[in-house]
Amino acid sequence: MTQPPALPQKPLRTWLFNPFYYVAGVKALAIGLVIIVAASLLGAVSNSHFDGILDFHTGLNAPVWAFVVEGLIDWLCLSVFLYIAGLILVGFRARAIDLFGTQALARWPSIGMPIIALFPGFQETTKAIAANPTAISSLPPGQIAVLIVVTLMTLPFIVWMVALMYRAYAVSCNIKGAKAIVSFIIALILSEIVSKAAIVILFMQMGIIPLSA
Amino acid sequence: MAIKSLPTVCPSCGCGLKVKRLECAHCATAVEGEFELPLLTKLNAEDQDFIMNFIKTSGNLKELAKLYGVSYPTVRNRLDALISRVNQLEQNQENQSQ
Repeated sequence: MTQPPALPQKPLRTWLFNPFYYVAGVKALAIGLVIIVAASLLGAVSNSHFDGILDFHTGLNAPVWAFVVEGLIDWLCLSVFLYIAGLILVGFRARAIDLFGTQALARWPSIGMPIIALFPGFQETTKAIAANPTAISSLPPGQIAVLIVVTLMTLPFIVWMVALMYRAYAVSCNIKGAKAIVSFIIALILSEIVSKAAIVILFMQMGIIPLSA
Repeated sequence: MAIKSLPTVCPSCGCGLKVKRLECAHCATAVEGEFELPLLTKLNAEDQDFIMNFIKTSGNLKELAKLYGVSYPTVRNRLDALISRVNQLEQNQENQSQ
């Protein structure tokens, strides 16, 4: 056979920002599910919740399964909405396994966020706020600084994850340009609303969040 | 000696080239005229390689992805881009012949 063309010049950059160039389908799904479970277990350690596609909050006590279910709800909601968007725009040319698999893999930066939440002093601060939300206004400057530092450290991970989610969608459905960006934003907003609502309702039903909250 | 690549575009004005003369490598008999280049020769070497590999793998995109060391959607997107390019070349050829 003739020689395949050279792979991208910057493979590390491709692995970081477009791993779907190399991995998709069942393999991406398997790796992605391991990542979702691992991020959820790390979340259980640092009491960090992915309670919505773009949400990352700490402080709420919950059983381990609740952390895993949050991750799965986030992944499923976005994947379903993006698959519907793909069906509308390109029909059945996009394979569901590629979209669901690459979306799971796109969540890999989420592993970093619960680790950052273990930052010294952060757990104490979030526990104090969870116990008394009005306490945030009377926090000492040191604890406020910790909150700001942790927020600033987690932001790049969220941006990176969203960028990967977009690339996964664009590669899986072969959609480019304004059509891709607009449909992705619509799917992201809808899935954020649905995932957030689903998690809150589930946690209320299971007694993790008080029904009066 | 390295194999020379077939030029398909005029280096002066950028228009498509045509074949003017063909010659037998054995007895040097020559045929002159004005012949169109086959459409596939107008694709770049990388695209031609891709088509060759596509045929050799019986059009199996999973096999092709394995051969290139990339994912299935990457290969499928590459094929979609190639289909667009071939359609565009066909359109150009039709416009030129009219």
